[in-house]
Amino acid sequence: MPTMKSITATSIALGLAIAVTLSGCAGGGQAPATDAKRVSGGTIVYGHQQEPACVFGGWIEQAYLSYQVIDNLVSLDANHKVVPWLAETWKPSDDQLSWTFTLKKGVTFTDGTPVDAAAVAYNFDYWLQGGNSTAEVWLQGYYRSAEVVDATTVRINLLKPYPRLADNLTQSYFGIQSEKALTTRSKEENCAAPIGSGAFIVEKWNRGEDIILKRNKNYTSPPANAKHTGAAYVDTIDWKFISDPTTRVATLRSGETNAIYDVPAIEWKNLEGQKYQLLKYVTPGRPQQISFNTAQGPFTDEKVRQAFAYSLNRRQIVETIGRGVIPYEGNGGVSQTTPGYSTKAADLYSYDPKKANSLLDAAGWNQKDSSGYRVKDGKTLEVVLPYGAGSIINADGASILQGVQEQAKAVGFKVKLVPVPQSAFFGGAYSKPAERDLAVGYWTAVNAGILYINWRQSLPDDPNYNNAAFLNDPTLESYILQANSTSDVAEQNALYQKAQDYIAEHALAIGVYDRLSTLAVSPSLKGVWQETAQGGPVFYDAYFVK
Amino acid sequence: MTSLRTVLPAGAASRSILRAAATGLYLSITVLAFFAVAAIVPGLLATHSPTALDLSHSLEGPSWQHWFGTDESGRDLYSRVVYGTRESLAIGIGATAVSISIALVLGSIAALARRFVAGAVNRVIEILFAFPTLLLALLLVAVLGPSAMTQIVAVGIGTAPGYARIIRGQILSAKDSGYVEAAVALGHSRRRILGAHIVPNAVRPLVAIITLSIGQSIVWASSLAFLGLGVAPPASEWGALLDAGRTYITQAWWLIVIPGLVIVTLALAATTLGKHIQNILEKGEK
Repeated sequence: MPTMKSITATSIALGLAIAVTLSGCAGGGQAPATDAKRVSGGTIVYGHQQEPACVFGGWIEQAYLSYQVIDNLVSLDANHKVVPWLAETWKPSDDQLSWTFTLKKGVTFTDGTPVDAAAVAYNFDYWLQGGNSTAEVWLQGYYRSAEVVDATTVRINLLKPYPRLADNLTQSYFGIQSEKALTTRSKEENCAAPIGSGAFIVEKWNRGEDIILKRNKNYTSPPANAKHTGAAYVDTIDWKFISDPTTRVATLRSGETNAIYDVPAIEWKNLEGQKYQLLKYVTPGRPQQISFNTAQGPFTDEKVRQAFAYSLNRRQIVETIGRGVIPYEGNGGVSQTTPGYSTKAADLYSYDPKKANSLLDAAGWNQKDSSGYRVKDGKTLEVVLPYGAGSIINADGASILQGVQEQAKAVGFKVKLVPVPQSAFFGGAYSKPAERDLAVGYWTAVNAGILYINWRQSLPDDPNYNNAAFLNDPTLESYILQANSTSDVAEQNALYQKAQDYIAEHALAIGVYDRLSTLAVSPSLKGVWQETAQGGPVFYDAYFVK
Repeated sequence: MTSLRTVLPAGAASRSILRAAATGLYLSITVLAFFAVAAIVPGLLATHSPTALDLSHSLEGPSWQHWFGTDESGRDLYSRVVYGTRESLAIGIGATAVSISIALVLGSIAALARRFVAGAVNRVIEILFAFPTLLLALLLVAVLGPSAMTQIVAVGIGTAPGYARIIRGQILSAKDSGYVEAAVALGHSRRRILGAHIVPNAVRPLVAIITLSIGQSIVWASSLAFLGLGVAPPASEWGALLDAGRTYITQAWWLIVIPGLVIVTLALAATTLGKHIQNILEKGEK
């Protein structure tokens, strides 16, 4: 039990700790000499924010990891062009109902089995049967079967045309694993150390601490957009989990890590000034947005939803807290880096408290209680906004949500913010219509096809648990389905825009800010880049200089 | 150099120590009075609204306008600290109440019950001792959700076994004391011995423990809030302020140093007062 002495000691220790942190030892930031030479091998110590349950899975944090160990059929280059990876060529049939992929020859998984058509076909069925929740929701309703044509040719048969199939297969949710590993090893083994044909191999997972990835010396299958061929330059990646952003930055500054993920906005300029390489990728797909519960509660009324949108000066909050690093996003459907983005939808609601007040009056919320919150039939306009604290919403995001709460209060909304720990959040807390009025969150994608996942109707025989607004709207769904099956890109984008405009007009969701994937890299580590399907770090081409 | 102590007569030295002690007492009472006012009528002491955004003045250091500076949204930190007092004190006092209540029950049984029951309760206290408070708090947050009440319960249960031990010791020493033996020899009833001799003597040190515990509970609860297991935003409970400020530690020191100092000040004031009360009570015993 602490005594007075121990409290005094704790205070002194706290003071010292603060002093040490503030002094910010800059050891790791020492820039190498201009004539620094490349050194071979070495270990990249990388500080990542979140530790997922498995290496491979349906969350972006898993995609970042599995990208290092598992190759995909195709990759997306910086110009949003699909380029070869395990597949050399691919082509849809004339009726768009089947796609033929021709694989590179001689590629093997790290367990020695070949990357052949049978393995690829097995993986498609594996994802659809729950092997990857995100791959499953992308392909659901479109995928029919995977057929082995010959050893290096696989045909994917579809139920409906899906012209953007190859684009979507660039995301790491569609990584190809060894069939032998999936069928003969335990679930736990495949979870902790999946077998792919990637540039690195999972050696050990020290839960709660780090994952050690060793170089695959026999690597032969880099994607066409990689910067070199053959094995990776470094021997090892020590993928550490450091959840606290301040600690992550401190480890980079002290030289304990060579690269870190998710740089806090406040540190951005400083690190840049200290010669660190800063990388930023605005993830396409669903931005950090707020969806309204349209099934029950006050937001079933469109006027109340619009009032909420007008009550916020989202741009001002995001730009202040985001300090020029986090971009404001007005569109509730997709982010500004997504092909087929609608600026019309993004600009529909600007800060207009007068309009917000008159809409609320018109909706019958015309009384106010002593605290200034609106009241209707004796009920306060209280709305619950839960968020995955530290997992879906980082510290900057949490500050932005407090700004939203305060601004909405000015017109009479009582927003109850509920930070939900990661385990509870992924365990399904606050996922039912009765539990929340607002849902905040992102979903990264490579195109506006993400609208299908987020807005497809949830029907009794075909539920959609990712429809955060609990909205079953056949009109909206028809725009999205039409877009999904349209091959002409311009025509397809126009349809996706129609869907975004519909979401905005009916205030079904509003954008807040764009989700970022950011990296800060020490000056002694070169060649790190962010892959352009999801913004994850690529260490395959990275090397140290001295 | 001749030290001051050798120059001053012995009486003067002890008087100066007493004066210093009295200053400490007055200072701690003043500090606690300030916090009491902040908890009861925060509006009286605050200079701004604790939640009002002022986005054009974000992350400004302490100034005449903002005594403790502003946070990332331009909110006035001094007013947030003032408004956070009620919740912080409620957690401190609430957790102490939970903790002392559990400790009284467990400690009394462990000291007074029959051998078998006392042994079992002692083992329960030991198990609680061995159970990390933080783990217990995590468990409670998972079940009850993060809130001030969860913090109160978690800290209350977590700190109870220490106090239970103290209470058990006090009761045992009172039970074996000369005056209890005398009371037994005089043929007083069990109930009278317990009510008139054991309980008052065993409970007297509790007054001091309670004041000590309030400060310590706030420190404990702050560490939970610091880990994000505390109250929901935008509440400005001090631990939550520390937690929110740590993102900005290298750029805005005031966001973490000032709430930290406030917690330390309160804990020290409560502890100093507790020490004084203990001294007075001990003198009374003599």
